[in-house]
Amino acid sequence: MESAAIPERPPRSRGELAREVFSKYGLIVLLAAMPVWFGIRDLADDGDLSRLANNMKDGLSNGAIWALIAIGYTLVYGIIELINFAHGDLFMIGSFVAFGMIGSVGLTIASAGLGLFLGLLLILVISMIACGTLNVMIERVAYRPLRDAPRLAPLITAVGFSFILQNVGLLWLGGSHTSVPDLISSQKELFSIAGVNVNNGDMLAAVVTIPLVIVLVNFISRSRIGRAMRATAQDPQAARLMGINVDTTISFTFLLGGLMAGAAGLIYALYQTDVWFFSGFIAGLLSFTAAVMGGIGNLKGAVLGGLIIGVIQQISDNRIGTEWTAAIVFAYLVLILVFRPQGLLGEQTREAG
Amino acid sequence: MAAWGCLTAAMAFGVAACGDDDEPESGGAASEGGSKTLTVYSSLPLQGASRPQSEDVIKGIKLALKQKGGKCGEYPIKYESLDDATAAAGQWEAGATSDNARKAAQDKSAVAYIGEFNSGASAISIPITNDGGLLQVSPSNTAFGLTKGGVGAEPGEPDKYYPTGERTYGRVVPIDNIQGAALAQYMKDEGVTSVYILDDAEVYGKGVAKNTQTPAEKLGIKIAGSDSWDGGAANYRALADKIKATGADAVFTGGIIDNNGPQLYKDLHAAMPDAKLFGPDGMATVDFTKEIPAEVQAKTYLTAPTLSPEELPPAGQQFYKDYEAEYGEPQDEIDPYAVYGYEAMAVVCDAIAKGGEDRAAVVDAFFSTKGRESPLGTYDIDADGDTTLSDYGGYTAEGGKLVFNKVIKAAAA
Repeated sequence: MESAAIPERPPRSRGELAREVFSKYGLIVLLAAMPVWFGIRDLADDGDLSRLANNMKDGLSNGAIWALIAIGYTLVYGIIELINFAHGDLFMIGSFVAFGMIGSVGLTIASAGLGLFLGLLLILVISMIACGTLNVMIERVAYRPLRDAPRLAPLITAVGFSFILQNVGLLWLGGSHTSVPDLISSQKELFSIAGVNVNNGDMLAAVVTIPLVIVLVNFISRSRIGRAMRATAQDPQAARLMGINVDTTISFTFLLGGLMAGAAGLIYALYQTDVWFFSGFIAGLLSFTAAVMGGIGNLKGAVLGGLIIGVIQQISDNRIGTEWTAAIVFAYLVLILVFRPQGLLGEQTREAG
Repeated sequence: MAAWGCLTAAMAFGVAACGDDDEPESGGAASEGGSKTLTVYSSLPLQGASRPQSEDVIKGIKLALKQKGGKCGEYPIKYESLDDATAAAGQWEAGATSDNARKAAQDKSAVAYIGEFNSGASAISIPITNDGGLLQVSPSNTAFGLTKGGVGAEPGEPDKYYPTGERTYGRVVPIDNIQGAALAQYMKDEGVTSVYILDDAEVYGKGVAKNTQTPAEKLGIKIAGSDSWDGGAANYRALADKIKATGADAVFTGGIIDNNGPQLYKDLHAAMPDAKLFGPDGMATVDFTKEIPAEVQAKTYLTAPTLSPEELPPAGQQFYKDYEAEYGEPQDEIDPYAVYGYEAMAVVCDAIAKGGEDRAAVVDAFFSTKGRESPLGTYDIDADGDTTLSDYGGYTAEGGKLVFNKVIKAAAA
C-alpha cells in the first residue's frame, strides 16, 4: 500500500535561500563589519584597540538614551499597534523639566556629594512622573477616543501632539540650544580600564538605564499588570473577556513609556549639558529606528537596537564623518529589514503573533 | 492683536515672520512737502540665538534714520523691519528669507533692503532683490562668493546671484578672504602650529573655512585635517576624539552659533583641554560666550569685523555715545554689529538722497560711494559692492563677554 502522498515543499529559489542564510548569519557579519574593519586598521596603525573600545563605550552610553526612548515606542506599538510620534517630543519635555528642576531644587555646579545625589534623584523622579502623567493624558485625549477609528486617525493625532509638544518646548525655552549646568562634570574621567576612559556621563547613563530596564523587563514578565499588558497585546477582545480592564492596561503602558522618556530626558540633559526643543524629533527618529531594528513590540529588541544605533553613530562620527552618520544608520536599518523584516529579535505584535 | 496673530502662527505652524515698522505709515504716498514716501526694509533674524545682535542692528538703523530727521534727502522714509528667522528653525530660514525679499521687491515704494544678517540667507534673497532691481546692503555678510569669484568661492559664484547681470548688492563689512587672513594671523600670533579646520556645511561656514585654510598654510601652519559638523547632532565627542588623534593644537570652527556652536566648543575642549579654539564672526556673539563655561572661554579666540569703540574714528566713538543716550544701553553691552546697522542705513540713505525713487539710480549712487567718512573709517564701495575697509578685531572671551583683544591688520590672501 502506498503511503499517503505528502505534498512536497516546492524547492526554494536561490534568492530565498540566500535571504534565509543571511537572515541567520549574515546580520551578525553585517553588524560586526564596521567594528572589525576599524579594529584591524587600529591594530595596524596603533597596535591596540583602545580607540575602537572608546568608540564602543561612547556608543553604548549614547545608545542607552535611545534605548530608554525606544522602550516607549515599542511598548505602545506592542499593545495598540500605534506609532506614537509624540514620544520623542515627550522625551524633550522630560529634558526641559529636568533642566527647570535643577534651579528649583537649588543644584549648582558647586553642589557635590549626598546633596547632589539626592537632588538628582528627586529630579529623576519628578521628570519621570511628569512625562508619565503627560503621556497618560495624551493617550486619554488623543488616542482612546479613536480606538475604533481607522488606523490613520490616531496616527494623525500622534503627529499633531508631536507638533504641540514641540511648540510648547519652543515657547518654554525658545528656539536656541540652552546650556545645562554641568552638575556631574559629564566628561570628567572617572576611571580607565585598558585604555578605555569611563567618564561621569557614561556612568550616569549606565546606573540609570540598566536598573530601569531590568526592573521593567521583570515587571512586565512577572507582575499581574504586566501579564495583563501581554494579554492585551495579543488579543484585546479575549483579554477583556478574561476580565482585564483593557483601557486601564493601555493607560498603564503609556505611563511606563512616559516614565522611561522622563528618565532619558534627565540623562540627556546631564550627559549632553544642552537641551533644545528640536532634540525630541531627532531622538524620536533614532529611537523609533532602534525599536524597529530590534523588532517592534520587543522590549529587549528596543534596548538592543538603541545600543547598536549608538555604537554605529559613534564609529561613523569618529571614523567616517558626521555628515554621513544619518545615512549610515539608516542604511543599516534598511539592510537589516530587507533580510530580516521582523527585526533582530523578532516582532512581538498581534500581527506577528 | 498682531502679537496674538504671530503667537497663533508660531503655535500652529512653527513659523513666524512678524516684524515691525516705523513711521511714517503713508507708504508710497506723497508727503506734505510733496516728495513721495519711500520704504526701506530690513530683513534680519529676530528669533533664535542671533536675535540680540539683530535687535542692536535695528536700533542702529533706527538711530541713523532718526539723526537724518526720518528723511533721506527730501524723501520721507518708512522703515519696515522683517524677520528672516522662524521659531521652529531657531535661526534664518530659506522660506522666510525669500518671502521677505519678494515682499520688498514687489513693493513699489521700496528703494532699499538692508540684510540679511547671515550670508547663507543673502544667497537666497540677493537673486530676488536683484531681479527687482532693488539695492540690498548687508550690515554683516562676509561670505566671499556673494560678490567675488575665484579661489575661496564656490563654482558659479557670484554670477548665479545676479540674474539681471547687474550688481545690486553691497556690504559695509570686510569680506572673508580678509577675515581668513586675519584669523590665520591671529593663530600665528597665538603660537598655533597645527590646526584642524571645521565648517558647519553652510554657505558662510564653508566659505570662511576655505578662506582661512589657504592663508594659514601660507603662514606655515600645518592643516591637520578638515571636516564638517552637523548642527543637529546631540554632541560632538566622537568628532572631538577624531581631531584629538591628529595632534592638532588648535581647531578652527567656520560656522554660526545657531548650529550648536556652544556644544561643539564644550566637546572640543573636553577632548583637547589645551587646544586653542578659533572662530569667525559667526561665533563672535555675547550669546555664544555666555553659553560656554569659563574654562572653554579661556581657550576661545574669535574675530569680527568690528573694533572696540576706542579703535574707531571720532565719528565711531560719537555713535556709541549717541546710541547709549538714545537707548540707555551701556557702551560695553552694545553689540559690535550695531554700528554696522547704523552705517548700512546711513550709506543707503545717502544713496536714496541722490537717487530718489528710481531704484536703478539708488543702486548707481551706492556703487559710486568713494572716500566716504563714516563711524567705521573712510572707505569706498568697489565695483563688486564690497567695502575697502580691512581691519578685523581679534577677541577673547571672559566672564561670558566678548573682550576686544587687538586690531588685526591682515592683507587678503
